[in-house]
Amino acid sequence: MARLSPLEASERRLGYLMLAPAVILLLVTALYPIAALIRESFSHNVLTEPWMAKPWVGLDNFAKAMGDPRFWEASANTLLYVIVTVPGAVAMGLGLALLANQPFRIKWPVRLGLLLPWALPLVFAGLIFRWFFEFQQGLVNNALLFVGLSPVNWLTRETPAFIAICIAIIWKTSSFAALVLLAGLQTIPKSLYEAAEVDGASKWRQFLEITLPMLMPAIFVALIFRTITAIQTFDIPKAMTDGGPGKSNETLAMYIHSTTIDALDFGYGSTLAVLMFVLSAVLTSFYLRHTRRDPSGGRH
Amino acid sequence: MAQLDIIGVTKAFGPVKVLHGIDIAVADGEFLVLVGPSGCGKSTLLRMIAGLESVTGGELKIGGAVVNDLPPRGRDIAMVFQDYALYPHKSVRDNIGFGLRMRNIATDDIARRVDDAAKILQITHLLDRKPGQLSGGQRQRVAMGRAIVRDPKVFLFDEPLSNLDAQLRAEMRVEIKKLHQRFRNTVVYVTHDQVEAMTLADRIAVMKGGHVEQLGTPDEIYNHPRTTFVAGFTGSPPMNFAPCTIGEDGGSIILDGGATLAVPKARQAQLQAARGKRMTFGIRPEHITISAEDGNSLQAEVILTEPLGSDTLGLLKIGQTEMTGRFAPDAGLKPGATRAVTLAMSKFHLFDPETGVSLQ
Repeated sequence: MARLSPLEASERRLGYLMLAPAVILLLVTALYPIAALIRESFSHNVLTEPWMAKPWVGLDNFAKAMGDPRFWEASANTLLYVIVTVPGAVAMGLGLALLANQPFRIKWPVRLGLLLPWALPLVFAGLIFRWFFEFQQGLVNNALLFVGLSPVNWLTRETPAFIAICIAIIWKTSSFAALVLLAGLQTIPKSLYEAAEVDGASKWRQFLEITLPMLMPAIFVALIFRTITAIQTFDIPKAMTDGGPGKSNETLAMYIHSTTIDALDFGYGSTLAVLMFVLSAVLTSFYLRHTRRDPSGGRH
Repeated sequence: MAQLDIIGVTKAFGPVKVLHGIDIAVADGEFLVLVGPSGCGKSTLLRMIAGLESVTGGELKIGGAVVNDLPPRGRDIAMVFQDYALYPHKSVRDNIGFGLRMRNIATDDIARRVDDAAKILQITHLLDRKPGQLSGGQRQRVAMGRAIVRDPKVFLFDEPLSNLDAQLRAEMRVEIKKLHQRFRNTVVYVTHDQVEAMTLADRIAVMKGGHVEQLGTPDEIYNHPRTTFVAGFTGSPPMNFAPCTIGEDGGSIILDGGATLAVPKARQAQLQAARGKRMTFGIRPEHITISAEDGNSLQAEVILTEPLGSDTLGLLKIGQTEMTGRFAPDAGLKPGATRAVTLAMSKFHLFDPETGVSLQ
């Protein structure tokens, strides 16, 4: 590398100086906790066993996880939530975004309807849906009775509970996907639809040939964000069934929570968290590989 | 190919009327240019023909059939948009073939027609690229390819050259003219550029404020403008105007500021009705010439010159009026100098100063 002139060197120093606050903030708030978590995952640290101190145990915790059926079940459940709620929320969000993108005369009720589920706290949404799916007074069973069907024991049976939780998650998270996709929709020039209209494309063909391909980058962003949060699924199943019935709907995040907060096993809890982090990285890297392609052939 | 009839067409956006009854019959194979300043309604009219805007009143007929309520895809028209509107995620080949595919044409037929169109427009080597990898001129060609491949009844162009630089614009203008001469399609072309209008059109409709101010051949529009607006809109630089009074004898025009112009016999009949009246005198820059001093010449002070290479524009002060003349580059005009000039009095125009209408 060529030597910097004194002017360039001083400019560069100033640049680093101005970056410093952000870098320090990032180190303190993001990197330090991650580093601490990784260190913890290699140690035995159970608060109820203070006499054990915090010895370094190498990969013992990871080996324990590999042989822990509850870890594998929670991971499988988490993956199942990812597989169902990520496409579910993005598909639902796409529908909402297409609806909100229509030229309504009064826009605010549509926008409010779009934002409201997003603005609600997750636990609150979970509680509302618990009430909806309640056996005796729940809205859903009342509706089933009304149309002549028999009520379902939603929250106390394994599969119905999973379905109910997925519905709640999709309702809660589709609005964020819709916002991302709505922003994407609004960047598609109107003249493309006019050209397609003149070219003879029906509305459905316009959706398939223009909207969908041009929305792909936004869909990927929505998928990535939704996947990351789906891997961390916690509040809604916690509020609706506490992972139940039994541990049948327990997610990885819930298992980590019960390990660290209920059992006070910080070492093993940290190991589980690191494993969850690896799962996130693997799943999202799959998307990132796809987003690197520029559909318009670059150079704008 | 087909005839296009615009019959008493009006357009209103809510309470705002933007087109006030347009009547134009575009013959089969004719090249009609709609020209006018921003907001005159020319693009709205084009979009109504395309079916992208609804028709408030009147009738639109393509090939004799009323199309008022047909969607664009039912009208068999092709349109070239100002921003080209190419599908950015599709290759050039797929962009051009899109309209054929939407009409369920056989795949090998599409391939053949796309190749033919690409050959005509000299973009065969670009067929596998995406629009993002093309220059402005190349995108323009692709947009035209998408239109010609369909062989529609009517071609619509919405200011297709306005995003190109001057040189490319001139090249593409020639290209469009060649295509029209080759295929003889019915074309409606919108532009605000009067040079494009003059060079391309079989007929020009000059629009202003939602009306057609004058509809005629480029020659009629240029040499026989019906209003001061049309006269001032065509030609570069535009026609010179000066307030004047018609002499009581009907044989002379007195410009404000004193210069008296003798009217040749052949045109005196035209002046009889306006004897003694105030009028607006109009003359095109190329009809002012440097001359020897004689009874017909006027004294003109040269205020500034604009050499264009092929000729030189001179801003002159004749009496109280400023006029621009177009002169040979070797005419030797010097700012500040006074020269004798002659106005070609067989070519002057007179307009009513209040209505702007030409005195026929």
